[in-house]
Amino acid sequence: MSFNLEEITHDAARLRKEIVKALHTTGGGHYGGALSVLDLLITLYKGVANIYPEEPNHPMRDRIILSKGHACIAQYCILADLGFFDVSELAKYGSFNSFLEGHPDMNKTPGIDFSSGSLGQGLSVGIGMAMALKNKPVHTWVIMGDGECQEGQVWESVMLADRYKLNNLTAIVDNNNYQELGWAQNSEGIEKAPIPRISEKFASFGWNVMEIDGHDFNIIHKALNKAKEFKYGSTAIICNTVKGKGYELFENDPIRFHCGELTELEYVLLNN
Amino acid sequence: MMRSEKLANSCGKYLSQLMDNDSAIIVLDGDLADSNGAIYVQEKYENRFIMCGIAEQCMVSMAAGFAVEGYTPWVFSFASFLCYRAYDQIRVSVAQCNANVKLVGSHAGGFTGRNGKTHSAINDIAMMSSIPNMRIYSPASPEDTEWAVGEMNKHDGPAYIRLPREAMSSGTWKLGSWTWITKRTSVAIVTTGLALKIANQVREQFKNLFDEEIGIINTVAIHPVPQDLIEELNNFVDYVIVIEDHLTSHGLAALLKCHQLKCKIDQFGWPIDYMADSGDYEDILKHSELNPEKITTHIKNRYAFNDNYLAR
Repeated sequence: MSFNLEEITHDAARLRKEIVKALHTTGGGHYGGALSVLDLLITLYKGVANIYPEEPNHPMRDRIILSKGHACIAQYCILADLGFFDVSELAKYGSFNSFLEGHPDMNKTPGIDFSSGSLGQGLSVGIGMAMALKNKPVHTWVIMGDGECQEGQVWESVMLADRYKLNNLTAIVDNNNYQELGWAQNSEGIEKAPIPRISEKFASFGWNVMEIDGHDFNIIHKALNKAKEFKYGSTAIICNTVKGKGYELFENDPIRFHCGELTELEYVLLNN
Repeated sequence: MMRSEKLANSCGKYLSQLMDNDSAIIVLDGDLADSNGAIYVQEKYENRFIMCGIAEQCMVSMAAGFAVEGYTPWVFSFASFLCYRAYDQIRVSVAQCNANVKLVGSHAGGFTGRNGKTHSAINDIAMMSSIPNMRIYSPASPEDTEWAVGEMNKHDGPAYIRLPREAMSSGTWKLGSWTWITKRTSVAIVTTGLALKIANQVREQFKNLFDEEIGIINTVAIHPVPQDLIEELNNFVDYVIVIEDHLTSHGLAALLKCHQLKCKIDQFGWPIDYMADSGDYEDILKHSELNPEKITTHIKNRYAFNDNYLAR
């Protein structure tokens, strides 16, 4: 895929609006995490990964697992924009009989490589895929949340991937610093971040680690490409992001908008 | 040839044979290969055997990743660690995705030797039969096991095989999803897996004490319940006695009861609050609800002389 900064900046701004529109239309949802993951996800899809919208199951496509499945509206908006399915489907997201389930379903939605929703499983699935595809020029990308990394299974996987030195596997962490409730509101003396010192943790398990600004398209693009070039071991890209990125209302109230609803007035004001 | 062996070993050996002609098969193990039968694959096909370490959740989801890439991953562990530790991974990564993953649970049931309660799996049928797309096999002999492994490998979708720790002997019965291992009778024990041993003892006692013939149906494909088994019971059997190495309330008997059975059904297995004990097979058996003498007495008291069932 070719990377064009101007184009991707424009697309991301456009899809932010799509995300908010789709979520508001269908009664609310995970605004915060979808908006924090969008920039890194769109850079992956439009600037780095090998994908084939006209043939979603193309054997030589890169595998992309959105392990933080609750942010799937961001992925759906990108997939629709790329032509995997019609953009009109977005208005039905999460509704009965829509193929855009509330959490990703590989057996329903074109372009979804694996189902998710129950946190912590995507990286293990990615290990299986990366091992299965080790002799092919195919990269496996797993996008996780920082809150998700509290699941023990994540660290089982981090340990195992290091043992097998899977250089065709990259974990991208949307490190937006919040989870649904977490410890953000606790008083001093308690660590607030979902995973404090997350880069050190991945590094101590033997992974290549990059910690970057998850909203700087150039830097994301560079990091994703670099992750593919490592000859030895798996790579974690810790993307520091802002929950609800792009809208003050969401950014200032990340707990309400982890999964929430907008009033009609808020929605109108947001679009003006 | 008569064999008596742990069915996990039968499973591992036969699977390694299938691998000769099926390059899609790989085996994942949770560090129990020398106990759960996967060792036979490791010895023969080291490069198709993946040690996943003591991390069942990761192992099961990994298997799903392999499955969607065209492999047929067989995941080996103790039944308890697969079905309980990795239940959500089986539910979400395997069953809901309809991923072609085969689960091998050794040490299933309540007879796990000196391992005791943590290593027993007496509600694994309940767990595995209550998620979508799952098939459950429960063999009672080395030959049954080979038949079940073959069926599982042919089927494109999730399947679970429960294998007891105790060695089981060769059978002479016709292989299939279920079969009469005796002649057909109107009072029949329906059993599965290790409980076939117990069923045979109950049958013998009835014959000796009351000169009554109770037939036995051995069921290997237990979920979904084979439709022709339901038809057979409805057509020819008046009284079904289920004997199973599982909770009575949520196992084979419960699965049978989901169907429109005309006959009376009675069940023997582990009571709901039982946690399983450490101990040798005979000691546990003697003191449990599965004690063949107890079962014989129950059947006699409840039915034989009350409504003359067996005297007809």
